[in-house]
Amino acid sequence: MLDADVEVDRREFTVRAALHVAPGERLALFGPSGAGKTTLLEVIAGLVPPRRGLISLGDRVLTSTVPPVIALLPWQRRVGLLRQDPGLFPHLSVRDNLCYARTASPSGSELSALASVLGIESLLSAMPARLSGGQAHRVALGRLLLARCDTLLLDEPYTGLDASLRRTLTDLVGSLIADRSIPAILVTHELPDAQAFADRLAVIDHGELLQVGEPNEVVLHPASRRVAELVGYLGFVPSGDKMAGIHPERVTPGAFPDQGLVLTGVVAACRPAGAGWEADLRVGEATITCRLPDRPPISGEEFAVTALDPPYFGSDGNAATDTSAEGALGRPEQVHR
Amino acid sequence: MSWAASPAAAAGGAVQGEEIPGPRRPAGRGRFAGGQPRLRSASTVVSVAGAGIVWLALLGPVIALLTNLSWSAIVNSLTAPGALVPLAVSVESGLVTLGVLLVVCTPLAWMLARGKLPFPRVWETGVLCSLLLPPLVIGLLLVFMVGPYTPIGELLGHFNLSATNTFLALVIAEVYESAPYYVLGAQAAFASVEPRLEQQAGLLGDRPRRVFRRVTLPLAAPGLAMALSIAWARAMGAFGAVIIIAYHPMGIPLQIYTTLQETGLPSALPYALVLLVVALPLPLAAYIWSARAGRRRRG
Repeated sequence: MLDADVEVDRREFTVRAALHVAPGERLALFGPSGAGKTTLLEVIAGLVPPRRGLISLGDRVLTSTVPPVIALLPWQRRVGLLRQDPGLFPHLSVRDNLCYARTASPSGSELSALASVLGIESLLSAMPARLSGGQAHRVALGRLLLARCDTLLLDEPYTGLDASLRRTLTDLVGSLIADRSIPAILVTHELPDAQAFADRLAVIDHGELLQVGEPNEVVLHPASRRVAELVGYLGFVPSGDKMAGIHPERVTPGAFPDQGLVLTGVVAACRPAGAGWEADLRVGEATITCRLPDRPPISGEEFAVTALDPPYFGSDGNAATDTSAEGALGRPEQVHR
Repeated sequence: MSWAASPAAAAGGAVQGEEIPGPRRPAGRGRFAGGQPRLRSASTVVSVAGAGIVWLALLGPVIALLTNLSWSAIVNSLTAPGALVPLAVSVESGLVTLGVLLVVCTPLAWMLARGKLPFPRVWETGVLCSLLLPPLVIGLLLVFMVGPYTPIGELLGHFNLSATNTFLALVIAEVYESAPYYVLGAQAAFASVEPRLEQQAGLLGDRPRRVFRRVTLPLAAPGLAMALSIAWARAMGAFGAVIIIAYHPMGIPLQIYTTLQETGLPSALPYALVLLVVALPLPLAAYIWSARAGRRRRG
């Protein structure tokens, strides 16, 4: 169990968060750049001191700012942190980098199995200066996995990797976390990465933890308008005294009042997107973006779409109580400041 | 005339000394292909020639030394009774000096490089001061610092030691002449090691001392070796401070000086060759080794 309840001062704002990750659980920390995600990981790893906080891992207290004051040094924590900068040792070969940690004593077959999953088996005797950015990143991930830490903190681990490798690595990391039954946190600003990795999703913005919940629940029932914006809701249209959040991918052409909110408007622009089309629809004052399977009419005629079971937000920006906002997954877990 | 050249223009270029790449390249140059810079154009020729002139000018004294030596002079000087004692003195004191620098100055250089000291500018200015003092002045001031009538001199006297005209005095003079070069070089070597790598080693469970041994030291080693070899050259050639506080025991630089005073220029030259031959291998080895370390790291 990894528990971290911390406040960290940054230049522009204070990062406040309480995270609880169970053994074998995978938490994704999702938010825009500069939201304080990396800072949180660095605090847990002991690289940045918190102003106030209590961090414990299993039965060990890593940091405590209340007496007895404890601040274990990074090398005493057994916290595995994968940073965005791979930080390979330039004087050691890939093999020596992989086996750097003293806790890493892989058998030959274990090493070659991991290297082949990571796609670096032909690079074991190469020096880091010869590697591409993506290769260096994979070596750094391998080094961390072999170090057998008590928890894994991954900071944007899939930067610069193609989609199939991302999937492979997500599966590999996921199964290792389950095998070793250790808590893990993934930091990312890409929602698909977070969803693919995590059991639970924590949305952070401007140093504040806005919502923690199952990934699907957070995306379908954002606790606030800000969370909705972060998870991809591009349009907000008034509906009574509330605002409905419209996610481009949860819009279907045609009027189906029993499935959600029917919107009628004029197509302002449309462009090909993936296997379908993305259209900007002007609905009254608001403009919403929606993904459609076929090209919508652009002749200026009225075009109806249905936003499937959209979330509603009150004037304070928080999710409004509405029958249509209550999905099968229940109410979102709101984090109060 | 534009570069959109007709064959005639290309031929004109060749007349101006430009070499046309391709089939017209002389066949004999083929063995330099791959890696060796090729003389491609007039400007390359000029710049290589210029560099060669500067290099030869720098080597001028060495060339003069080699052209003015005769085998008989070398044999006569070096077979004279006690002729090689100064060589032994220089090498011994030089090695002791290197040991002192390694033990005393390496931690200082590391702390300077990592900003571990309060008011870093003050510390760096101090090192620069000792670099800027002329060796002769260092010698004079050392007399006032460790001479027989100073507190330090008296303290040494209690242990039956003296820092005047002794091996100890020679080492002290050599340390003072070479230390700033080593400190500044070693500081630069440590500063070139990225702190993030040390942090990374810590995250992988290494305590600070192991981080130093496994990451900091190997990465700084080529730079440290260069700094040490420069310090070695300074120590071997130390003269200004040495002549003031350590006239005896006589090392090679003083031997050259006294031979010059007593028997003239030609008989002093063989000792200059000895100094060169003895002092050169260490810097050369350090240079070759650090170049190889760099190549290895690049893969």
